[in-house]
Amino acid sequence: MDPDQLSRAFVEHYYTTFDANRAGLASLYQEESMLTFEGQKIQGSQNIVAKLTSLPFQQCQHSITTVDCQPSGPVGGMLVFVSGNLQLAGEQHALKFSQSFEVRDRTDANRLVVDYAYYVGTKVWLLV
Amino acid sequence: MDPDQLSRAFVEHYYTTFDANRAGLASLYQEESMLTFEGQKIQGSQNIVAKLTSLPFQQCQHSITTVDCQPSGPVGGMLVFVSGNLQLAGEQHALKFSQVWLLV
Repeated sequence: MDPDQLSRAFVEHYYTTFDANRAGLASLYQEESMLTFEGQKIQGSQNIVAKLTSLPFQQCQHSITTVDCQPSGPVGGMLVFVSGNLQLAGEQHALKFSQSFEVRDRTDANRLVVDYAYYVGTKVWLLV
Repeated sequence: MDPDQLSRAFVEHYYTTFDANRAGLASLYQEESMLTFEGQKIQGSQNIVAKLTSLPFQQCQHSITTVDCQPSGPVGGMLVFVSGNLQLAGEQHALKFSQVWLLV
């Protein structure tokens, strides 16, 4: 799978999980993962998911507008940049958002199975 | 200087240069640097600056709303994420933008 397809697949999986079962994002983070959320740095899978599940909305629907990726650093990672819309239940207008991920993949060359470890960058909510 | 101050200083320098003298951004990129611009991947300092200087506007003014950074990878890099407004000359409304850097 080429990097563009891989990053698209990752992003779709991430937001589908976010919208359907936010706690399920835990498996996508590791202990060294970091989330920066509105200036606050949060480290570790458990802390990140605690933050994401405590956001002041329950139902939401992300729709992706753009996904861009490029190689990141010497260890085979990818920098992924996403923009899109976030529709909250009961709100008339969608919020625009952008988010960046630093994704490290651990491809087993024999099995071509990809086990992600990634850092999730900043999420910025911009009002329309 | 702590990482937050460093990334803030970098971002301010980048956009001040962008707005005043776009060709001057060349010194901030290297041959292995990559810019992804609206889906197009552009590699190398010279090619990146050629792209930036050919954008269909001459005068612009970036104003920064947020700068966030976090450590990146094993070799001491930083991931920097910026959001802000871009005012183009002659336009009534500013455009919202966001941009991410991997600084190594």
